[in-house]
Amino acid sequence: MQIKYTLPLLAVAGIAFAIFTVINSNQPTPIASAVTEPASAPFKTFIAGAGIVEAQSQNIAIGTPLPGIIKIVTVSVGDKIKKGNPLFYMDDRETRATLAIKQADLSKAKAEVEIAKATFNDSKSLSDMAEAVIDRRAISAEELLRRHNAMLITKARLESSLALVQQAEANVAETQTTLKRLVILAPVDGDVLQVNIRPGEFAQAGSLNTPLLVIGNLEQVHVRVDIDENDAWRFGKKNKAVAFLRGNRNFSVNLQLEYVEPYVVPKKSLTGDSSERVDTRVLQALYSFDRKQLPIYVGQQMDVFIEAPDYSTPGTSQEPQPAQGSSS
Amino acid sequence: MNHIALKMLMGDKGKYIGIIMGLTFASLIMTQQPAIFVGLMSRSYSFISDVGLPDIWVMDAKVQFVDDIKPLQDTELYRVRGISGVEWATPMYKGLLKVRLTDGTFQTCIVVGLDDSTLIGGPPVMIEGKLDNLRNSDSVVVDIDGARDKLGKPSPTPGAAPIPLKIGDTLEINDRRAIVAGIAKVTRTFQSQPVIYTTYSRAKSYAPKERKLLSFVLVKAKKGQDIAELTRRITKTTGLAAYSQAEFQELTYEYFMHNTGIPINFGISVLLGFIVGAAIAGQTFYNFTLENLRQFGVLKAMGASNLILLRMILLQAVLVGSIGYGLGVGLTALFGFAMRNTILAFKFPWQLLLFSGTGVSLICIFAAFISILKVIRLEPAIVFKG
Repeated sequence: MQIKYTLPLLAVAGIAFAIFTVINSNQPTPIASAVTEPASAPFKTFIAGAGIVEAQSQNIAIGTPLPGIIKIVTVSVGDKIKKGNPLFYMDDRETRATLAIKQADLSKAKAEVEIAKATFNDSKSLSDMAEAVIDRRAISAEELLRRHNAMLITKARLESSLALVQQAEANVAETQTTLKRLVILAPVDGDVLQVNIRPGEFAQAGSLNTPLLVIGNLEQVHVRVDIDENDAWRFGKKNKAVAFLRGNRNFSVNLQLEYVEPYVVPKKSLTGDSSERVDTRVLQALYSFDRKQLPIYVGQQMDVFIEAPDYSTPGTSQEPQPAQGSSS
Repeated sequence: MNHIALKMLMGDKGKYIGIIMGLTFASLIMTQQPAIFVGLMSRSYSFISDVGLPDIWVMDAKVQFVDDIKPLQDTELYRVRGISGVEWATPMYKGLLKVRLTDGTFQTCIVVGLDDSTLIGGPPVMIEGKLDNLRNSDSVVVDIDGARDKLGKPSPTPGAAPIPLKIGDTLEINDRRAIVAGIAKVTRTFQSQPVIYTTYSRAKSYAPKERKLLSFVLVKAKKGQDIAELTRRITKTTGLAAYSQAEFQELTYEYFMHNTGIPINFGISVLLGFIVGAAIAGQTFYNFTLENLRQFGVLKAMGASNLILLRMILLQAVLVGSIGYGLGVGLTALFGFAMRNTILAFKFPWQLLLFSGTGVSLICIFAAFISILKVIRLEPAIVFKG
């Protein structure tokens, strides 16, 4: 009787295999661990915000007063610069040509003065001679008057030509100023953070999306923290704040508040769409920190935590005080 | 006596195998169909269980299940991060985007954007490459099933299987270039779309321009923080919905239970399996008892008490029941094993063993009960009739 044993044996094997499958197939999925651990707030209750590192002087986007072709860029990224150092030179050939014309005009005006002077001397001597005649019968009254008037006219011409000289000088000075404006100078001491122009490129005057040059003072850097307007009431100026470097939470630094921008601005993290609508505004607080503690670059983002009262404690806002008695 | 009972049972091989076949069939259907059902339902939330690290998922209050994305503003991330008891919070983008393949066809894929610096929420197992490779420009990680099948390059010989994607291959996601930097293993999702992982900021550039793009905020609670309390606090403070991982899985699961026909379909199959099994096994067992009625009559006439006869029938029922059950679950496990590398959803939790065990026991009790009634009412005199 084979069937007597095979079927029960098969059944036992079946149950065993089923139990094996149950155990084997229900292993929990392995958990993907974080590549780097995210920063975690060292406070019990806090506000979290995104910070961006900027130079203390803020990042100065250098512009040009006149549009034109770039001739020479004298600085490169990372250069230390002093206030008044030239940053770049614009093409000045046209202005120099104009200057030559203006200078020629000046020389011409000066020559005109000489002529006017000679003419004046001539008419003055004739007039003086007539004036000097004692016997009035020797010269007609008409002749006397004519010589006198001629003297006055030439005098006026002399003054006019002197004025023309002044004008020509002013013209020369103006062109020289234009020439100076074609050399862009550093407005502050600092570092060159970005150079977006090269010789031969056309530099647009006015405010640009991509600045020509970015300079800033890196000796002291600030971190600009965006605080959601919904959390702004919890922000306190005296509260402790800590910033963490993104990518490695072992780098953190304590922050000192420098100032708070009193104007709440629209949050800048937009898709760039033309029909963009801003629906969140952020309070910006600026903190300083010891730069030696972190390997950080200007423009880098940081995770910032600011100690703050709990949501459940109403009316703990330091300032500004909410307007009283506003109509509902 | 037991020996006689077994002899009686196995005396007619055909009948014996018939009973066992019926029970095996019933047990197979009652195990295999629910296993497929459980497998299918667990796929509905497989994305949530794959992302194991965070404790809490924060999303728009109106989200109904995991694929129902109602994006948030980016600043909500910082509001959530600012709630006490939160260890960390990271953004996640999840969306369906069109991917253009080299042969010009389009394939809709799930694109997941992970937090740029920590890459939290990544795939559980990396088969090729490392998740860190996402830091390279334009890089994405593709799941192995998608890479082999739907995203594969067309084969040079028509009709053959596509050539799987390799590291270094390029894709076109929403007109933007993406380079495969890794292959990952993920649990299949309900709709079985390929899954593409990338960083949050890159996912935003792939996604169509929208004002809000943040799908989920993933939150880890501080050590010792009660998760239920933290979810309540997040909801109260931000007005967003916050679910623990289990709650979010349940939400998704409940959505599929209530809004799809899957539970009814599978419920009907299981019921049919039960009824058919009960009918076949019950009837065969009853017939078998009827045929052996003479033998029972002889035993009764020889002085065997009702209790002994009852024990004999129960022994027979238990034996065929356990053999049928064992064969049934064994076949189910074999089926699952054979199908382990296919697209079929199959999940065999231990509860199913109990479920089908109960079903088979019910069938056996039913069959034994009607047989026992017959035997107890039996007059020993019947042996001498005819």
